[in-house]
Amino acid sequence: MTAVLQVTNLRKTFGGITAVNDVSFDVHEAEILGIIGPNGSGKSTLFNCVLGQLLPNGGEVRVDGKPTTGMRPCDVNRLGVSRTFQLLQVFPQLSVRDNLILAGQEHQGSMYSRLIGRADAGLGDAARRMIEFFRLSHLADEQAAALSYGQQKLLDVAMAFMAGPRLVLLDEPAGGVNLTMLAHLRERLRAYHAERKATFVVIEHQMEFVMALCTRVLVLAEGRIIAEGAPQDIRRNPTVIEAYLGGRR
Amino acid sequence: MNRLGAIAVGVGTIFAIAAPFFLKPFGIYLISMWAVLTIAALGLNLTLGYAGQVSLAQGAFVGIGAYTVALLTQAGCPYVVAFVSASVLCFAIGWVLGYPALRVQHHYLAFVTLAFTTLVFLVLRNEEWLTNGIYGISGIARPIFFGWSTGKALDFYFFCLGTLAMLALATWWMLGSPWGRAFVALRENPIRALSLGVDTRRYTLMAFAIGSSLGGLSGALYAPLVQFIEPNSFALGMSFNLLLMVIVGGSGYFFGPFLGALVAVLLPEWMRITEGYYLLIYAMLIMVMMAFCPSGVLGLAERALKAMAQRDPSGPALRAGETPP
Repeated sequence: MTAVLQVTNLRKTFGGITAVNDVSFDVHEAEILGIIGPNGSGKSTLFNCVLGQLLPNGGEVRVDGKPTTGMRPCDVNRLGVSRTFQLLQVFPQLSVRDNLILAGQEHQGSMYSRLIGRADAGLGDAARRMIEFFRLSHLADEQAAALSYGQQKLLDVAMAFMAGPRLVLLDEPAGGVNLTMLAHLRERLRAYHAERKATFVVIEHQMEFVMALCTRVLVLAEGRIIAEGAPQDIRRNPTVIEAYLGGRR
Repeated sequence: MNRLGAIAVGVGTIFAIAAPFFLKPFGIYLISMWAVLTIAALGLNLTLGYAGQVSLAQGAFVGIGAYTVALLTQAGCPYVVAFVSASVLCFAIGWVLGYPALRVQHHYLAFVTLAFTTLVFLVLRNEEWLTNGIYGISGIARPIFFGWSTGKALDFYFFCLGTLAMLALATWWMLGSPWGRAFVALRENPIRALSLGVDTRRYTLMAFAIGSSLGGLSGALYAPLVQFIEPNSFALGMSFNLLLMVIVGGSGYFFGPFLGALVAVLLPEWMRITEGYYLLIYAMLIMVMMAFCPSGVLGLAERALKAMAQRDPSGPALRAGETPP
C-alpha cells in the first residue's frame, strides 16, 4: 500500500533559521495523524511546504506517489489535497453557500466550461448537504462576515471538505473555539472521517482534541521530529515533556 | 437581485430610452458620452471592484480603442471589423499588463499602470507617422449598419445605448457565473483562493484582459462620438476620471459605474453656471463624498436600506419574503 502523503527529508530555511530540518514521514490511507509541538517548532511551515505555499529548500513531497514538490497550491489542491489555515480564512463578502461553492467549483470542468455552465457549477446540492452536515442551514444565505467566530471556523473546515478531498490538512482547527463548538467540530470531523474514509493531518495545541481524534501523533521541536507514536504513549514520552516544558539539555 | 433593484433598473432603462427625445443635441451628446464611458467604467469595475486589482490604465485602453477604430476606418476598414479589432487588441495588451499584477499589488500596481498610461500617451503623441501626433485625427465617420446611418446624434445615442446594454448583459452573465465568485475570492483572499484550487494567476490576467477589452470597446464608440481624437484626451486625466466613476458609483457593485459615470459626466455640465468655481466645487463634493461614503452612492443606498429595515418592526418579515438569489 502506498502512502497518501510521503514527505522525505524536507528542509526549509529562512535566512539563518532552519524552520523545517530534514523531516520525513508518511501518512496512510484513512489515518488521522496529529502533529504537535511548541510554538515555532515548524508545524505550519511544514504544511506550507507540503501544499506549495512555500518552496522547500530540499527534500520531496509525494501525493499518492506523485511528486508535488514545487507545484502551485492550486494544482496540489486539484490532486485532492485541501487545507485550512491557522488563522480563519473565509471570504467575508460571500454568502455561506457561495463560500462553499467556490471551494468546490474549480474542480468542476475547465475554466472556460465554467464560464458558460451553471452559475452554481452544479454544486448547489453538494453545498446544501455540506451546510446541513455542519448544521449551518439557518445561515446559508448570510454573508460569512455575519457569522460568529466559531461558525466561521466550521465554515472554514467545511470549505476544505467541499471538493471531496482524499487528504485534508487542518492547521489548528480548535484554536480560539469555545468548548461546545469544539465538541461539535470534533464530532463532525469524526463523522466525516467515518463516512468518507478521508485522511487527515491535524496540527493542534489543544491536547484533549488531539488525543480524542488522532490515531497517531508526530511531535515536532525546532524543525525536527522528536517523537512519534500512539497518542497515549506520546503523553508519557519524556522527550516530549521536556520539549514542551523545557528542562536540562 | 431583489425587487427594489429590479424596479430601479426598469425605471433607469425607461429613462435612458426616453431621455434623448426631450433633449437638445448637446444633451444627447452628453448622455451618449455617459453610455460610452459607462462601458469603460464597467470594465474597470470588473478589474478593480470585483477582482481587486488597482488600475490607472483604463483611460489608456479607451485611447488604444479609439485610435484603433479611427485609423482602421480611415484606412477603409469596415467599422465592425475595427470595433472587434479594438476589443481584441486591448484584450491582448490588458493580458500582458496583468503580469505585473502577479507580482505587485495595491499602490505599487497603481504606479505600474500609471506608467503604462503615460507610455501610451507618449506613443500617441510622438509616433506621428501613425497617430498624427498632437494634431490628432479628425473627421472620424459614424458607422452605417445595413442602411441604418448612425450619423445623427439620436441614432448614434441608441447605437451606444444598445452596445452598452449588450456588454452590460454579458458582464452580468459572467459575474453571475463561477468566474464572478472566483474574481471576488481573488479580491478578498488570494491565498485562500489559491489553496482551494482557484488558479489566481489566470483569473488575475483574465480580469485585466476583459476589463481592458471593455475599455477598448468604449474607445471604439468614443472616436465616432466625438469625431476628433487627440492624445491629451487619453492622458492620466481620463484614467483618474474613470477611477472616480467606479468609486463614486460604488466599487464592486454591478450598477455602480452607471451611476458614477452619470455623476462624472453631468455634474461638471450642471455646474457650469457657477462659472470659474465649478472645478473647486466639484473637487469639494468629491472629497466630502469620499469622506462620508467611501463605498460610493450604491454603498450609501445599501446602508440606508439596511438601517430602514432595522428600524421598521416588519423588517424581518420582509426579508423572509425575499426570493433567494
